[in-house]
Amino acid sequence: MMGSLVLESGEIFSGVWLGGEESVGEVVFNTSHSGYEEMATDPSYYNQILVLTAPMQGNYGESNDFWESENIWIKGFVCLEMQNSKRDNSWLKKLTNKGCPVLSEVDTRKLAITLREKGTVWGAIVEGSGDEAIKKAQQMIDKNKDEKGDWTKVVSCKTPYTLEGADKLGSKIALIDFGCKKNILRELQARSREIKVFPANVSSEEIKKYNPDAIFLSNGPGDPANVIEGTQTVRELIGYKYIYGICMGHQILAQALGGSTFKLKFGHRGANHPIKDYIADKVYMSTQNHGYAVDEKTMPKDIEITHLNLNDNVVSGLKSSEHNCASVQFHPESHPGPHDAVTIFDYFTEQTKRC
Amino acid sequence: MAKRTDIKKVVLLGSGPINIGQACEFDYSGTQACKALMAEGLEVILINSNPATIMTDAELATRVYVEPLKVPFVEKILEKEMPDAVIPTLGGQTALNLALDLDAAGILKRLNIELLGAKTEVIEKAEDRAKFCKVLDKIGAKYPKSVMATTFKEGIEASESLGFPIILRPNYTLGGGGGGMAFSLEEYKVKLATALHESPTSEVLVEESILGWKEYELEVMRDKNGTFVVICSIENIDPCGVHTGDSITVAPQQTLSDREYQDMRDEAQKIINEVGVETGGANVQFAVNPENGDRIVIEMNPRVSRSSALASKATGFPIAKIAALLSIGYTLDELKNDITKTTLSCYEPALDYVVTKVPKFAFEKFQGATDQLSTQMKSVGEVMGIGRTFKESFMKCFLSLEVKENLFDKMALDEKKVSYPNSQRMYHLFQALRDGYSVEKLNQMTTINSWFLEQFEQIVKFEDELKMGEANKSNLLKAKRLGYSDKHLAKVLNKTPSEIRKLRWDLDVRPKFYQVDTCAAEFSSETPYFYSTYWSEPDPITKNPDTIVMLGSGPNRIGQGIEFDYSCVRSVYEFQKQGYKVAMINSNPETVSTDYDTSDSLFFEALHEESILEILNQLQPMGFVSQLGGQTPINLAPKLIENGFKMLGSSLESMDLAEDRGRFIKVCKEFGFKIPRSAMAHSIGGALAEVADIGYPIICRPSYVLGGRRMEIVEDEKELKSYFSRHSLFISEESPCLIDQFLERALEVDVDLVRGLDWSVVGGVIEHIEAAGVHSGDSMGVIPPQRLKPDVCEKLQTLSLKLADKLNILGFLNLQLAIKDDEVFMIEANPRSSRSVPFIAKATGIPLVDLGVKAMLGFKKSEVNPEKYVWNNGQKTAVKGVVFPFKKFLESDSILGPEMKSTGESMGRGKDYSEALLKALVSSRFELPLKGEVFLSLRDKDKAELIDLAREFESMGYTLSATGGTAKYLQDNGLNCLKTKKVHEGRPNCVDRIRSGDVAIVINTTSGKTSVEASFGIRKSCTEYSIPCLTESDAANAFMLALKKHKQANFEVYPLEKSL
Repeated sequence: MMGSLVLESGEIFSGVWLGGEESVGEVVFNTSHSGYEEMATDPSYYNQILVLTAPMQGNYGESNDFWESENIWIKGFVCLEMQNSKRDNSWLKKLTNKGCPVLSEVDTRKLAITLREKGTVWGAIVEGSGDEAIKKAQQMIDKNKDEKGDWTKVVSCKTPYTLEGADKLGSKIALIDFGCKKNILRELQARSREIKVFPANVSSEEIKKYNPDAIFLSNGPGDPANVIEGTQTVRELIGYKYIYGICMGHQILAQALGGSTFKLKFGHRGANHPIKDYIADKVYMSTQNHGYAVDEKTMPKDIEITHLNLNDNVVSGLKSSEHNCASVQFHPESHPGPHDAVTIFDYFTEQTKRC
Repeated sequence: MAKRTDIKKVVLLGSGPINIGQACEFDYSGTQACKALMAEGLEVILINSNPATIMTDAELATRVYVEPLKVPFVEKILEKEMPDAVIPTLGGQTALNLALDLDAAGILKRLNIELLGAKTEVIEKAEDRAKFCKVLDKIGAKYPKSVMATTFKEGIEASESLGFPIILRPNYTLGGGGGGMAFSLEEYKVKLATALHESPTSEVLVEESILGWKEYELEVMRDKNGTFVVICSIENIDPCGVHTGDSITVAPQQTLSDREYQDMRDEAQKIINEVGVETGGANVQFAVNPENGDRIVIEMNPRVSRSSALASKATGFPIAKIAALLSIGYTLDELKNDITKTTLSCYEPALDYVVTKVPKFAFEKFQGATDQLSTQMKSVGEVMGIGRTFKESFMKCFLSLEVKENLFDKMALDEKKVSYPNSQRMYHLFQALRDGYSVEKLNQMTTINSWFLEQFEQIVKFEDELKMGEANKSNLLKAKRLGYSDKHLAKVLNKTPSEIRKLRWDLDVRPKFYQVDTCAAEFSSETPYFYSTYWSEPDPITKNPDTIVMLGSGPNRIGQGIEFDYSCVRSVYEFQKQGYKVAMINSNPETVSTDYDTSDSLFFEALHEESILEILNQLQPMGFVSQLGGQTPINLAPKLIENGFKMLGSSLESMDLAEDRGRFIKVCKEFGFKIPRSAMAHSIGGALAEVADIGYPIICRPSYVLGGRRMEIVEDEKELKSYFSRHSLFISEESPCLIDQFLERALEVDVDLVRGLDWSVVGGVIEHIEAAGVHSGDSMGVIPPQRLKPDVCEKLQTLSLKLADKLNILGFLNLQLAIKDDEVFMIEANPRSSRSVPFIAKATGIPLVDLGVKAMLGFKKSEVNPEKYVWNNGQKTAVKGVVFPFKKFLESDSILGPEMKSTGESMGRGKDYSEALLKALVSSRFELPLKGEVFLSLRDKDKAELIDLAREFESMGYTLSATGGTAKYLQDNGLNCLKTKKVHEGRPNCVDRIRSGDVAIVINTTSGKTSVEASFGIRKSCTEYSIPCLTESDAANAFMLALKKHKQANFEVYPLEKSL
């Protein structure tokens, strides 16, 4: 059966419909060669239709070990070829069983070029092709497009919970879950005494009640400008204890410090983005997944830019000694992607112990 | 910028003649590096003994030395040039070993020269197995259990602890030379002895086998700040047990999870850091147990390699260029990404396509050699295919291979050919799938990962669907996306390929040309490096009247190699100089021609009618050029012309006149060339009748052969009968046997010339050192001629030019002539650039390729000034040396004959013949023993001729030994000679004597099937033990000349003069 991805700008990309339910999302592409399962379960991809530029997906099967959360968050999976043989069609089954629509045999290069040139747009994956599909899709987009919502609340845990850390002498961390990846939790657990995970709408009082040594702001989906509550909470916590964050956490921190964010034309999504790390004085490869970035011009003067994306010089990390906080835009926890930046967790951990 | 200011002059080491395991990929890396360093304003001194390379064009570097890559010669160059540094990481294992030798001899220290890219300690840590294992232990990486054996006894003891099968890896050898796998003690003993001998340090790593594990390779780069990037991951389809050069490989890797891949990446990074590779490219090979994911490290190379050339072509990342720039101090974040021009070089290429590499083999050239693949590399070339999916790219490779076999042809399945790795495996595997073998069963038989087998299955299964269905747009598109060629479709649908093409074009099923952009479309890229795919809609057809399409020469093979890539690339430069744009088509990833910045646009596609027509149709160029890529484009030309495209240069009529034997003979006779008497015969009866007129000896060959396949010299009736019975499969009514008079003891010459509309230039006359009977590609040659009489030389040039006029050549013409009793015989004519063109250009300084381009573009005499190009102009004497791969095919005879077997050539330049000879032989990796025993076994007709040679050996202090007849002859002539037994006379015999190390030099001339077979053991043992073995009397005399020069040790080194 035919299926199509229709962009709100009117382009249609047809392919083979492999199951799932019709849906709407922001259409984004990722250039990683591997890691489809990690990406699909990363809450940061919530409300997004994921286009993978690597030709075949599902080729090495699936494993629950690869899950970065308890859900498949993406609104659709688009690729050129899908592993679908008698021996192994496990990834396809896993996606469609969860209702995620899968579209294969799509000219993903043309699609990626379109997204690159037009910028990120919304789209819908629908059964069928041609004008009818376009019409149906456009109605769906009109109805479901959501650009104003605070998505972090959707994907965050609903009640707090505590995790034991591996370092008996380590810090006690309060983590605000804006859509946290499991591997961030694992990296933090390995370096702390205890982590208490709070939902995205936690108040600063609740955090203070826990009396942590440091506060970690997780990754998460959507436009940081819409995360009003989360930003306010963080604003109230600045100066209280060491605050550090990743991705959405980095953007929220920047906002809380008085800066603002902007929408990148088509985002950074892949496992090959070069980062200049001014703290370690190194250049390394990083995993990235973000559609928005911190606007350097809007940042207060006392904020130090610690990391840059060398492809386009976008702010990729910041630090403030005065406010006792730091964050990075990219993903040192990888999963998927290179492990080059994992030592940032060590750096962070050291800072949590200083206070 | 962090470029070092203390380095102003560097020496770049090349890799020498092409042989198996070290081919033109190092011309690619060297050329790239050279261009990059020159652009940085450095003085670049290039040393390489291989004249067929672009890198040795005098224009490319500050100064080029075509000199042997051996310490005494390089030492002289270094003393003369006094460079600041030597870069040893771009010339393969040869350059790396040379660097170690220079260092060990204290030369680098004495002259205060730095090694850039890899220091001695680093090279040793990576290459010395024991040291490397220490590195792995330190970082906690696993490797196969192994023992270093330095003696036979140690080796045997090791085998007891490891169990079979066992892998043998001699230290410091090329392409796994001398290594292998043994399944039993008996087999092991034989291989151990060879391996110990092969290793220059007599060290062999005896290793536990990881047969059947998945094999991977990471191509990585590092800069001085420690920034580390993986350029490309490569997965071998053939599991461990087959040398990676002989494996079909895929990039990027397809069957590892992100987790597994990233762990492998981490380990590679740790290894590079721990080995201490400060800057540059390197590769690390891994094996992964398919059962449990266990990973071990196989090896690493601290230099660019064959696979880094592949990785560069596969990703668009110019590894060698960047490695060169890193070595002079730059860092990755200071260098631009050459392809996108907007981003930096510190990134890991993202691919939105799949690349497959398939090796090309030449077992059929080596009679007796078994077609079996192991840890020792045997392939002579490779093709690469880029497709949007694995299937598309894989099938493209098989379209590019230029072999008679097709994956889609039904054949009798031989299960053994599926189970055991061999060059025919894929054909049998596809047949097994057609026969209904399941993926599961095939996985058990081959240990090839099921994922790959499924891809093959999908391709095969669609044949049935196609047969049942209609030839409509949807099905054609599906087939094309699975990689079906028109030929394949034609076979399944029972039509002709051109009918399929017409059908496709009518239905608008045409390929899209997508860009290789290093970033999977994330950034826009201006670099026109294309591959075709059916996974998108075709582009609108454009008109490019200023573009010339250059057809490359495809995969390297014996008879068509780097020489043709040289011609292609050099002509691209000249066409560009004349204001044209050039689109290059080639499928060989090792070459300079497939570097994205060689031509104005690059199409990485098969040199196949279908692929080329699609490109021509898309581009609508001014025309195409087929004179430069060897025989491949010549064979393609008629079809392309038939489809309405214009060929530059000589017309089809001219080519036909030169290649149609009957018409050609007529023309030759008209012009006063003698033609060897010849005839055709379909049967032995006919042959016997014809020979009565021709007279023995004769040369026999089946019609339609390339590179002298099955060509033999036949001396009498008995042999003729034997010839017909052995080759009966290839001789028939349609394909008769060609019989030519054999001009015994004739002097052969190659003439290369260029003819324009009203002008012509003789590039040179190369005199072959061996007498007629040895294929021109296998014979050594010298320019200017040493034995050819000047008046005969004049005469043959006049005749050649007249013939070119008559053939109406526009561009290149190569003639092979034989001179006997001052008469000039025409052997054959090639209306194209030839193998000898680069050699001639470098020997004479005449820019022959440039002139050929001018000829094709219709330049007039007044614009060219042909009279200034005089080849015999008192330049140095240049000798062409030859390199053979017999070590890899020990069961095959190394005797030279009319069938070409060499893989590469060297060039020796000297103020006289002997100096040039010495250098050519040294560069061809000949040992030149200064003392010891000379063993002679001569056929009767050579005895008188070689007696003086034997006498000379004796007077120089060598001792002599010989078998029966030869010994008696030498003794009768007053020489001291030890008589040894022939092989059939019992033991110890002459072969035992050679094997025991008593013999330093062997001179063994023989002819006739029986004698050749009887003396095979002599030559085989020489090959095994690297003892010089001369099988032809003129070659033996030349060897003596070189030996004498070697004894005097008073050679000089000379930079190449710039072109005239």
